[in-house]
Amino acid sequence: MHIFQVGAGSGGMVVLDLISRDSGVRRVTLIEPDLYQPHNVYRHVFPPAAVGKFKAELAKEWVRDRRPDVIMDVFLADLTDPTYQSEFLRLAQDCTVGVCAVDNEPAKYAFDALMRTVRKPWTLGEVLSGGIGGWVHTLTPDGACYGCIASYLKRTTFEETVAPPPNYAHPDSAIPETTVPASKASIEAIASLHAISTLRLAQLYLGQREKSFENSFTSLVFTLQQVPGVFEEPFRSYRFLIPRSPSCLICSLTPGSSTKETLDEALDQALARLGPQ
Amino acid sequence: MPLLIAAMGLLDTELGKRRLLSIELPAIEVYNEGRDPEYRISVVRCAGSLVLSYRLKPCHNVYQLETRLLSSYPIVPPETRILTPLKHCPHLLEGQTLCLWRQGSTRAANRWDASQFTCVFAVLAAWRWLACYELWHETGEWPLPEAK
Repeated sequence: MHIFQVGAGSGGMVVLDLISRDSGVRRVTLIEPDLYQPHNVYRHVFPPAAVGKFKAELAKEWVRDRRPDVIMDVFLADLTDPTYQSEFLRLAQDCTVGVCAVDNEPAKYAFDALMRTVRKPWTLGEVLSGGIGGWVHTLTPDGACYGCIASYLKRTTFEETVAPPPNYAHPDSAIPETTVPASKASIEAIASLHAISTLRLAQLYLGQREKSFENSFTSLVFTLQQVPGVFEEPFRSYRFLIPRSPSCLICSLTPGSSTKETLDEALDQALARLGPQ
Repeated sequence: MPLLIAAMGLLDTELGKRRLLSIELPAIEVYNEGRDPEYRISVVRCAGSLVLSYRLKPCHNVYQLETRLLSSYPIVPPETRILTPLKHCPHLLEGQTLCLWRQGSTRAANRWDASQFTCVFAVLAAWRWLACYELWHETGEWPLPEAK
């Protein structure tokens, strides 16, 4: 089993640790560009003495100490960096299952595009602001893409408490609702569900597990706290079967037979038609 | 299968070019069809971005606008600014950029929906914003509630 993971933050590292201990895992590829910083220490598995080193290098040491037989490659790069796209594509093509453990939207969309291109299944874990609960999504090549899921959830669920209005005087300042930290316990709870879902998905795709209840949902939310108007009680799970949206503008785009030159020519012509008259 | 590059780059990846050719530019052509020439959207490249220039007349006044589709569009929402000078008002950011999507780093904080909206939706949203501005100009009250 080859795991292709992006992100080794406080949640991603827990997922990586739990997955890599599974005897079926033989190879891990990790993409993570960040350095381990003082503010990471509180919620991370690495010691304060590791501050200043790359998280990916620390993760590699961590896995090697526990599973010396696992082949592990790390890339100190941003998933959205155009320089590495061919390499990422090659690695994704070679994997059994993908793991997305990043918390920014562009990286989630980029991972989604990558995994759809190579038609490989993947999982995504998301801890909600304040650690009130979290999501684990399972994405398959013919199922909903991340755009379908994000759009569906925007319309149908309440994830967080109502946010204050933007600060018009300082438009570039941080938005307060995004900075409520989750506790390490909350992060580990959701990351553990993420790891279990990933291993189940990989076994399913390898034919080591019969299809069963996995088909009945794509997204699982698990509550960790009671939040009035959001979650009625802690420790409840809700399952959503989010279908692929026929009108999705992300996954309805399919590769065509046109060459780069044909596309460029068509684009030049279209822009010439729409240029200033 | 041709190489479909993962990261979105509107003008320099196959995925970005396909999005433009099959969704965004046809939507602009439909918007322009039958419209007075002075109110049509024109599009120019600007480095890695596309800039849409157009005029809107929500009530009695005509406004000149610019909507920029950055290289990371549609994952990152379009940025719309009004070139016509405005009075300082709510929901207006630096450089007369409209506060339309409440862009945040999380899914819940971001009102832009990359899987459902096109750049023409951003033009229509700007029209609605300007209609609100004109009412605010007359009454001192913004007619729509704060984004939540």
